[in-house]
Amino acid sequence: MIGYAARRLLLMIPMLFGIIVLVFLMLNVIGGDQALVLLGQEGTPEQLEALRRELLLDQPLTVQFAAYIGKLAQGDLGYSLFQSQSVLEAVSGRLGATLELAIVALLIAILIGVPLGILAAVRHGRASDIFAMLFAQLGISMPVFWMGILLMFLFAVTLDWLPAIGRGEPLLVAIVDLFRGNPAVLLDSLAHLALPAITLGVGAAAIISRLVRSAMLDTLSLDFVRTAYAKGLGPARVTLAHVLRNALLPVVSMIGLRFGALLGGAVLTEGIFGWPGLGQLSVAAINQRDIPLIQGVVLTFALMFALVNLIVDLAYAAIDPRIRYD
Amino acid sequence: MKRLLRNPSLLIGGTIVVIIVLLAIAAPWVTTYQLEDMDMRNRFSLPSAEHWLGTDNFGRDLWTRLLYGARISIGVAVVSVGLAAIIGTLVGLAAGYFGGLFDLIVMRIVDVFLGFPPLIMALTVVAALGPGVTNLMIALTAVFWTEYARVVRAITLSQREIDYVAAAQAVGASWARILVVHILPNCLGPITVLATLGIGTAIVAESGLSFLGIGVEPPTPTWGWTLSYGMRFLRADPWMSTIAGLCIMLTVLGFNLFGDGLRDLLDPRRITSGRRGRRGAIAE
Amino acid sequence: MLRILYCGAAIAALSVGFAAAPTLAQDGDGAITIGADVDAGTLDPRVMRDTTAYRVANLLYDGLVELSPTLEATPGLAESWENPEPTVWVFTLRDGATFHDGTPVTAADVVYTFESILDPELASRWRTLFTPISEIVAADDNTVRITLSEPYAPLLSYLDIGIVPANLVEGGTDIGTQPVGSGPFMLANWERGSTIALEPNPNWWAGEPSVAGIDFIVVPDNTARAQAFEAGDLDLIQSPLSPADIQRLADETDIVADIMGGLGVTYLNFNTQDPLLSDPQMRRALAMLVDQETIVEAIYEGVDVVASSVLLPSWPAYSPDIQQPTFDPDGAVAILEQLGWSDSDGDGTLDRDGEPLTLTLSTHSEDPNRIQAVEYIQNVMRGAGIDAQVSISDWPSFSGAVQNSQHQVALLGWLNLVDPDRLLYGQLHSGGALNWGGYANPTLDGALDRGRTTLDPDGRAAAYQEAAEIIADEVPYYIISYQGYQVFHTPEIEGYEPNPRGMMRSLMDN
Repeated sequence: MIGYAARRLLLMIPMLFGIIVLVFLMLNVIGGDQALVLLGQEGTPEQLEALRRELLLDQPLTVQFAAYIGKLAQGDLGYSLFQSQSVLEAVSGRLGATLELAIVALLIAILIGVPLGILAAVRHGRASDIFAMLFAQLGISMPVFWMGILLMFLFAVTLDWLPAIGRGEPLLVAIVDLFRGNPAVLLDSLAHLALPAITLGVGAAAIISRLVRSAMLDTLSLDFVRTAYAKGLGPARVTLAHVLRNALLPVVSMIGLRFGALLGGAVLTEGIFGWPGLGQLSVAAINQRDIPLIQGVVLTFALMFALVNLIVDLAYAAIDPRIRYD
Repeated sequence: MKRLLRNPSLLIGGTIVVIIVLLAIAAPWVTTYQLEDMDMRNRFSLPSAEHWLGTDNFGRDLWTRLLYGARISIGVAVVSVGLAAIIGTLVGLAAGYFGGLFDLIVMRIVDVFLGFPPLIMALTVVAALGPGVTNLMIALTAVFWTEYARVVRAITLSQREIDYVAAAQAVGASWARILVVHILPNCLGPITVLATLGIGTAIVAESGLSFLGIGVEPPTPTWGWTLSYGMRFLRADPWMSTIAGLCIMLTVLGFNLFGDGLRDLLDPRRITSGRRGRRGAIAE
Repeated sequence: MLRILYCGAAIAALSVGFAAAPTLAQDGDGAITIGADVDAGTLDPRVMRDTTAYRVANLLYDGLVELSPTLEATPGLAESWENPEPTVWVFTLRDGATFHDGTPVTAADVVYTFESILDPELASRWRTLFTPISEIVAADDNTVRITLSEPYAPLLSYLDIGIVPANLVEGGTDIGTQPVGSGPFMLANWERGSTIALEPNPNWWAGEPSVAGIDFIVVPDNTARAQAFEAGDLDLIQSPLSPADIQRLADETDIVADIMGGLGVTYLNFNTQDPLLSDPQMRRALAMLVDQETIVEAIYEGVDVVASSVLLPSWPAYSPDIQQPTFDPDGAVAILEQLGWSDSDGDGTLDRDGEPLTLTLSTHSEDPNRIQAVEYIQNVMRGAGIDAQVSISDWPSFSGAVQNSQHQVALLGWLNLVDPDRLLYGQLHSGGALNWGGYANPTLDGALDRGRTTLDPDGRAAAYQEAAEIIADEVPYYIISYQGYQVFHTPEIEGYEPNPRGMMRSLMDN
């Protein structure tokens, strides 16, 4: 198991290197001129030249790439062209917000998706099944930015229940405050989280509910379930103890893949709700051709994605005794 | 036929898809307006006898815009998913069949693409190439192809072990023949299902890129642009964005139901349901 | 059991909403919250690049002068100045002005600020504005002497740029992220991508502002920002906003709305080096196909104003008598016919010598209003028989193409036009660094030179009116609209005086 984890970690190195090369090629071979973007409309030719020299833009790509890799090897992700911050600072400053949003969205997705899927499977073919699956279809087919704006309109502008934008204290800080006897901070953090997390989570909830339903239907028809019924166990007992456990396996493995999508979905959600995370940062970085920052953001996303999938695969083995990694 | 009737998803989804595709193809014959007819005195009108679905911010007929938009939005989705399926299948077949170093390298490349969150991948590709229909299709292909590569490789790996492939090898069949005659047919079912479901995802993805301002640009009438630009008038004139959004939802619903039904039809044991890949992924 | 599970999920989902309801009140510290469209990239006033940075830096830093809402220079760090010779300006700094770290503001800081801006290595966008400065010296601790290579009338309008502490910057402090100015506010906290929180400077030379603080909150999406304002999460929002929201907010009774002329233009840049567009008559004909009224009314919902010439109404040189070509499709077709363009093959497109009249209009993808404007102009041009194409790309590619004169007709804008020189000299003088359309006209050069070097206001106005006449006639630039500036705030904010540049200093006594 440890050997397996170590091998997976080692495999991340070529992946990360590949991403670096890919981003570098995409943005340098065909992208825009950062010197022009930095100086705006009023830059003068001699300034442009000085800036291009400073950014090594007048050098061949191989030189630029070697310079970047050389610094990276020393753990230096470089300096953002536009944020007046090092890439490491810029990314680490936003990472917490995005992780918080993605994790809470995932929790919401599980809390809605799993019960809904169970309901649909147990009531297979009945009205509640059809309604649950209709909800799931709508959750998948509704563009997330549209849903976000509509939710904001409903809950923040019309009903005035929730704040429209921004982030409260980080959830972890707020929880510490709760134990110091100050629950208001946590409530404020949750209130700010609610709309973006629901917006982000609904699509995942829909997919999870479909997955749970189909996995449960598969399992319900298997022999051991019939055996369980035959042993005289009640339907609730059978569902929970036997069916759900097996049905959750594909869900667990799905979560790893969904997590990457949630991180990506943050790109749209964060911009709408003014959530100060990596998604907003990456859009800004791409729009400005801030190549060191794009590299940093994409590498961070990829690393998170790979780690989450590793954790998920290990968890998979823990849940399902049939799976052994060597 | 009986199987078809017991499969309402396929029936309903198929009907929706067929109607929308037919309307898109027949666009010039089912509307009397030209795509670019502006009428500035008649902006944001509600549905009426003249304008079945109302008009947009230039007083252009929304029914017409959405019909032609279907050509672009569905066209982009079908082409990019199709390309992704072809590339992914070829890569997956080769990796699964030949194995070894080639397989190792291919799978590392797949890892690289999977490491990008889908929307960031699309954003980066469009940033590099510039906006436009072709570049959007390239971006979506870059996002989707890994899914097919993984699925096809897995099927190829399992088929390679089966006796009849070994038998074919024994009688000296060429690798190309084995791949095409014996292995590829086993992949077609899952690929078709994935592709059908992928089309819905691609349509939603197009709208997301439009919202970020880097989709297909006007005057090309995509659904995503109509929705995201219409949202600017959400409060005073909500109709434009609502109808475009509903249009997207209905179409995606159609393709998804159709895909679900297709899966039940082709693959009752649902071997792909476990790690089905990133379906819906970019839609977030 | 299942039912319970299901209900449990529903309650869990809903209770997130209900539990939060009681805590909706505004942040309790009394700070004014302002919506911003982007996070500031840097708060170093010498290299700032975005509107948020301009607006925040204006509160953090003092310039030598401060510009009034009517664009007059009023004393800032300089309590007085004189102009003993046309090419010499002497500024006397006020006593008692200190930077936020307590060190006094001296002439050396002023000299350092401008010398570093002029250094090409700093990559400052403001450098072009100060290139006529040939020498800047500290005569003593309180006196700065600027020598110009030639008389430079607009100088004062540009001297509101923030003065930075020389010792600190030289010592390696990054004032881009840890700004230290001498202005009425100090940076309290900057959560990147989210909030720039400012607190009053107790030691400001004109007295501590009474407002509890000013928080800039980043909400990139225009529609979302307007909704957040309506939901009460923001106290003040301002341009850029969606025109549709502006109309609606302006009609609300419990919102204070100020809609005024801004300091920007939206214009068409004609590439006069293009064979098709080198003839002024051709450019006139195309300009006559730009329906300014409809663009302003329908796309900008009346928040921008139809432009009559390159002169902005807020400039002293403005004259309503100077009129560039107006919308006249028939007149345009007549001119095109004189030039030999007619639909000889009956395909609906004008042609000459067998070549169809094809033209590409371009703009950038970041601004949906500009896209719509281009789309509309294309529509009208097609109606007149021109095979107009639209090319829309992202800003880096688009601006790169325009700056390398690879465009035909480009729609873009200029902002912060505090002086006519800022819109015309670099852009349309034959040697101008920003003359992307390659326009060259010795008479115009003469007028622009005079405008730049004449210090007498009437003489300047006359020079710019002459320039505007030439531009209206030859159409290297066609100004579509004067951009409007809009600000909306809650009635609780009192005494706020809107400023067409979006500056917020008048909030300080709330």
